[in-house]
Amino acid sequence: MKKIFITFILSAGLFVSCTDLEVAPTSFVTEDNYFKTQDDAVASVNAVYASLSLDPGEQSLFGRNLYFLTDMGSDYAAAGVSATNPQVRAMSSLTHDATNDRVQVAWRQIYAGINRANVSIDNIPKVTGTEAVKTRLINEAKFIRGLLYFQAVRIWGGVPIVLHEPTSIELENLKTKRASVEEVYTQIISDLKDAESLPATYPATDAGRATSGAAKAILAKVYLTRKDWPNAIAKSREVINGGYGYALFESFGDIFNKAKKNGKEHIFSVQFEKNQAGNGSSGSTFQSTAFTGFTATEPADIISDVALFYDIYAPEDTRRDVSYAKQLLNPATGTLYTFPKPIFKKYLDLTNLATPGNVAINFPLIRYADILLSLAEAINEQGAPTPEAYELINQVRRRAYGKDINTPDPTVDLVGLTQTSFRAAIQEERKKEFVQEGQRWFDLVRWGTLVTEVKKVTAKNSVSERNNLYPIPQSERSINPDGLPQNPGY
Amino acid sequence: MKKNLKIYSILFLLLLTAGVNAQNTTPLIQSKLDGTIVDDVTNQPIIGASVVIKGTTHGVQTDAEGKFYFQTGQKLPYTLIISYIGYKKTEVIVDKNPVTIGIKEERQELDELVVVGYGSQKRKDITGSVASVPKANLSQVTSSADNLLRGAIPGVVVTQSSGRPGASSSVRIRGGNSITAGNEPLYVLDGILIYNDNNNSTAGVANAGATVNVLSTINPSDIESIEVLKDASATAIYGSRGANGVVIITTKKGTKGQDNISYQGYFGFQNVSKKLHVMNASQWASLRNDVQASIGQAPSFSADQIEAFKTSGSYDWQDAIFRTAAPVQNHQLSFSGGDEKSRYAVSAGYFQQEGIVIASDFKRISLRANYERNYSQNFKFGVNTNYSNSVSNGIGTNGGSSAGRQPNPLVVALYQPPVVPIRNPDGSYNLTNNPYATAINGIVPNPINDLENTTNETKINRILASLFGEYKITKKLTAKVAVSGDILDTKQNYYAPSTTTTGAGTKGLGSVGDRLVSSVLNENTLNYNTNFGENHKFSALAGYTLQYTEGEVVNAGANTFVNDANTYNALQDGVPVKPYTDAFESVLKSWLARVNYSYKGKYNFTLSGRADGSSRFGSESLWGYFPSAGFSWNITDEEFANNIKGVTEAKLRVTAGTTGNQEIGNYLSLAQMGSVNYAFGGTLYTGLAPTRLANPDLKWEKTNQYNIGLDLSLLDRKINFVFDVYYKKTNDLLISVPIPLTSGYASVLQNIGGVENKGLEIGLITENIKTDNFSWNSNFVFSTNKNKVVAIGNGVDQFFPVVPNGSLLQQQPVTVKVGLPLGTFWGYKTNGIFQTQEEVNTQPKINSLANTKVGDRKYIDANGDGVITALDKGNLGTSQPKFVGSFSNTISYQDFDLNFSFQGAYGGKIFNALNQQLEISTLGTNANVTLEDRWTPTNPSNEIPRATSSPLGIVSERYVEDASFLRLKLITLGYTLPKSISTRLKAKSIKFYVSAENLITWTKYTGYDPEVSSYEQNNLYPGIDFGSYPNSKTFISGLNITF
Repeated sequence: MKKIFITFILSAGLFVSCTDLEVAPTSFVTEDNYFKTQDDAVASVNAVYASLSLDPGEQSLFGRNLYFLTDMGSDYAAAGVSATNPQVRAMSSLTHDATNDRVQVAWRQIYAGINRANVSIDNIPKVTGTEAVKTRLINEAKFIRGLLYFQAVRIWGGVPIVLHEPTSIELENLKTKRASVEEVYTQIISDLKDAESLPATYPATDAGRATSGAAKAILAKVYLTRKDWPNAIAKSREVINGGYGYALFESFGDIFNKAKKNGKEHIFSVQFEKNQAGNGSSGSTFQSTAFTGFTATEPADIISDVALFYDIYAPEDTRRDVSYAKQLLNPATGTLYTFPKPIFKKYLDLTNLATPGNVAINFPLIRYADILLSLAEAINEQGAPTPEAYELINQVRRRAYGKDINTPDPTVDLVGLTQTSFRAAIQEERKKEFVQEGQRWFDLVRWGTLVTEVKKVTAKNSVSERNNLYPIPQSERSINPDGLPQNPGY
Repeated sequence: MKKNLKIYSILFLLLLTAGVNAQNTTPLIQSKLDGTIVDDVTNQPIIGASVVIKGTTHGVQTDAEGKFYFQTGQKLPYTLIISYIGYKKTEVIVDKNPVTIGIKEERQELDELVVVGYGSQKRKDITGSVASVPKANLSQVTSSADNLLRGAIPGVVVTQSSGRPGASSSVRIRGGNSITAGNEPLYVLDGILIYNDNNNSTAGVANAGATVNVLSTINPSDIESIEVLKDASATAIYGSRGANGVVIITTKKGTKGQDNISYQGYFGFQNVSKKLHVMNASQWASLRNDVQASIGQAPSFSADQIEAFKTSGSYDWQDAIFRTAAPVQNHQLSFSGGDEKSRYAVSAGYFQQEGIVIASDFKRISLRANYERNYSQNFKFGVNTNYSNSVSNGIGTNGGSSAGRQPNPLVVALYQPPVVPIRNPDGSYNLTNNPYATAINGIVPNPINDLENTTNETKINRILASLFGEYKITKKLTAKVAVSGDILDTKQNYYAPSTTTTGAGTKGLGSVGDRLVSSVLNENTLNYNTNFGENHKFSALAGYTLQYTEGEVVNAGANTFVNDANTYNALQDGVPVKPYTDAFESVLKSWLARVNYSYKGKYNFTLSGRADGSSRFGSESLWGYFPSAGFSWNITDEEFANNIKGVTEAKLRVTAGTTGNQEIGNYLSLAQMGSVNYAFGGTLYTGLAPTRLANPDLKWEKTNQYNIGLDLSLLDRKINFVFDVYYKKTNDLLISVPIPLTSGYASVLQNIGGVENKGLEIGLITENIKTDNFSWNSNFVFSTNKNKVVAIGNGVDQFFPVVPNGSLLQQQPVTVKVGLPLGTFWGYKTNGIFQTQEEVNTQPKINSLANTKVGDRKYIDANGDGVITALDKGNLGTSQPKFVGSFSNTISYQDFDLNFSFQGAYGGKIFNALNQQLEISTLGTNANVTLEDRWTPTNPSNEIPRATSSPLGIVSERYVEDASFLRLKLITLGYTLPKSISTRLKAKSIKFYVSAENLITWTKYTGYDPEVSSYEQNNLYPGIDFGSYPNSKTFISGLNITF
């Protein structure tokens, strides 16, 4: 009997001594054991870029979510029958309010990206590695941070400026206050000026990273938005004459050609590759929402008014059939299918119609044509169009009409305009050039023509001056009502 | 750890082989005795009763006529000990031959032993609040054990998340203590501690939808008894897992006596208990015309077409999703018995249920073997094992770009415009002819086709085994060592063919996942019992336990299949997607102790406590301590109480104590880096970004609970009354506090805030009528719980949990606010419809609806600032009922017995999100028939607004509905064949019965069923109905035979 008793005591005793309560995870990296090497720094900056193209469970920032604000909330784009989310429809009819989920998601995505940039900027200095590489990585993070604040300040006005990762979980330390528009721009310019020291080019395997040319191009847009014409002119000229090798593609369609990614016209593009978002998805949802197959079903993303935005193209203007498809070849039947209404086409990969959520077409965040038109706009705003300004807009027009870019062509070239009519010409050109490129709402707000232009579209006649800004998300204000006063009209 | 386990198991085997031999005796044959054992009241013979001659080991069983026979060395008179389950153990001195002995049925009495944590106690000595589920409740038809608790015990509220076979449910004992951590009670199954985490029944396969109830792996037919520990005195022995209450489940064991073989089986069918009223084609066509008109478009349908739809061209999509007379069946075969030294119970069960929604079902095979042996006078060992294999097919969620508004195919079916045909003229599903939906690769979603052709299978294999040895060191001191294992393996298979909504975009979508969770528990306890003189009874328990859990998850998928032939079993034939694996482990070490002291049986004191060390918490707070104290006073044992007429027993209980809650998941105190991809030069690179903020102070939630109870038995126990009042305050609540998004994070997990629960419970068991032929017993259960958030911390007094659904995300229907209960709905009050432009111009409008028109809904400007903003939202009620109750009755007349029970809840609300969506008019989806009464210039409705194409989903009182209900939950009529007939059939007993479940429900709720929770066990947004699987009416007939 004693045996049993001893065995009992022994067996119980064995368990007592055998385990430790501190169990280290094996399935994920913790921040404590991170930021040791240069590889860690590189991976952290990869994640900063990924904030532009990936948001699990949501449509990514430049994969479509920002499009709701910058395009569907403008005049030419609307929500079709297939858009069943009432929040999206509200955006399309400009009846959205502060609880609109698309606005909240954009806010979250932008600040998540800013935080990732802050994490990199705060921690990269302490990793081992080459100083030059570390500096470059920090400046890449600053480029993205500046870029994101530039979106934020135009969408919401003065937004909170956050420049470091949170070090405490106390709410009081996490609360922020809206800064002035001026302060946000000062920060944007500071980040982008640092990013100007980025390399001008990268090896082909690193194509797609931010360059000094990209920093200067965004800066030019910043100055243009601020109506700082001399700086806008100076920065644009640096981009054009700085030896970066930027040029227009001869063919407008090449801008959205997978094979010509990160080409001479692409100054900075958000990269989309197959399976980038995992699970058979690239993170870009433009194709799946603009193309619903060869049926009469209206897609979710549609042109709001065919007469106002499709019929305006001259028949020779190649941009129309790159931006819109009235007809498409149905590979299954070998016949041309005619849509009841032209559908958006820029992000349609005709070789990949079967998996519309896995489309590897980049989003051209800023391209050379934009700089040419921006410089032309800035010059004109200083008084009158100059020969240089004419040449800039005419290069864009010649390419659009399939002419030689650098050879003057009286059939397409603009001549003899006043400042006002030149301004109108620029505005018309941008409308035709940047369909679905996240420019339209920013352009209309910059020109002060949002209400008059959007009102021309019957279904959008709810537009009012309040639509020159989007509302601060209600959920954010309910946590921090004092720091985040609402924009007028919401 | 693993090495030690090996050593341990060797030692345990050694232990089992040690010991002494048993004794054998051979009696001399001298005297004979013929006897019969009968029920004292009915005089029916008792079959299989054990009859033992006192002071000897000589025992026999009564036969099918209740007769027994002795030939023994003992001389008359001698004493017989008669025992039989459900009857009082009786000692009778026998002095003649033959003899007939009547034995009395055992009622709920204070001498009865009650299972408590790590042991059992006499009910009379207990200080804590412990309740047993009545036997009648244990024989219900259900796939899962937790449903047996429904309406059985005051203070226990069981809410099934949906009517799907194998659906999960949430069980709340005395209200929810926690806001974001687990609120489910701890289950102790034959000594194995189990937290019912339904995450363990999913391997994370996308689109698979609601999880399977983990408790459905336990066959309810195997359950012998269920005890619920409610107050801190009873639960503190479970420390950091006791705060939500403890449910102790004991499975059927063999008893000494005759071997029994029994078969129990039933067969039945189910129908949906209610359908929703959605529009027919004619109604919808005219609605669409109005929507078109509201955006200045031409009508889609002519008046002739609308008229023609009344006779043809209308398709009932809702009808197409339901099965009629979906079968359900159960078969259980068990063997049990035992002799002087060993007891056994072995059973095999098969349960199969088809869902009332097509393509859904649940099937379970279960095996159980319980064995116990008295190895020697001092040493006893036993083993309890359970294996189950279940296969469940679910309805899944709906993939696709607008999935937010369409949580599952059921809801999509309701949204289908009724002018769209379900099938083509040739009988195949209509996948093209629908101008109102987005085609994906030429496939227009058809939810019926989706349900019919998508594979969405969850297979669960579970083994629960426990092995124990109990050794009496001295008469007073007993040691017990137990080792148990719980292996839960969940395999999920998913395949959406290229013709389905989810699979169309990717030319087929297949995925498989597996989650293996294994847990080893070792418990070592010492029990000491002694008396000091006649008046002082003392017992003590001390123990050390250790539980180690590890889990592994793998998940792989592929798409772009050449055809739909091989599906998920040949992922290599498709284009792979990024795989996913995960692993976790956790350790819980505990010291526990309990001391009971009783003076003259009148005054009883209990002190208990546990110290828990948990790996789940932050490095700064690994150990927690949970003490409790209880006192009870048997008033009727006092002399002054002897003369109170009618009072048989009265007992007062007072307890206080602290318990904890550690159910927050693993590693949450650490800052996690998550991986993301980005492409440079056309190649994908991995990026790592922080996804969670660290919190090294993270620890358990702490609940202080106080309880005062009164047990009262009146009129010779014809009326038994249990009354409890309690107050619970939970502090250090784990809350995923929303933080400003400008931080880069949406929330952070912190121990802040508190919740309070106070309530009152009444249980009343009465014997209404009792005659020779007729009896009527009833059980009335009533409880009320008031839940209140007392602090959220950080100076915040309100936050809006993020409901994981595209259309509910920004509506924020639910709030957590200091001073209000959890699950409070937050929204606008409505005020009719704008009838004139004058009203539109002058009255407050939702300012975002810049173009408010006549016919739009008016909301109440609560703060009087002239505009409707989020500030005008307010409390619209809570999902938590004011009180719940049940009333169960057992009536028997001769060989018939009738059971019926009513259950009800009063005062709770449901946010009917499905109806809200169905009352949003769009160009492409069907709507509730209520929109027939929409405002038009000729129909100035003051309730339903005009048709528009882009109304926002707004949370208003219209969609927060009263969920009060009263339900005839169960009615069963049984007939037991007279002994004379069953004996001729060589059976001990044969019983037939018919039963109906959910036969009648009285409720104002307009959705499918008022007992619903689309977000399953979640405590932050309970009571949301977004198209949950509806409940069914079930009719069964069954047969029980014992041989």
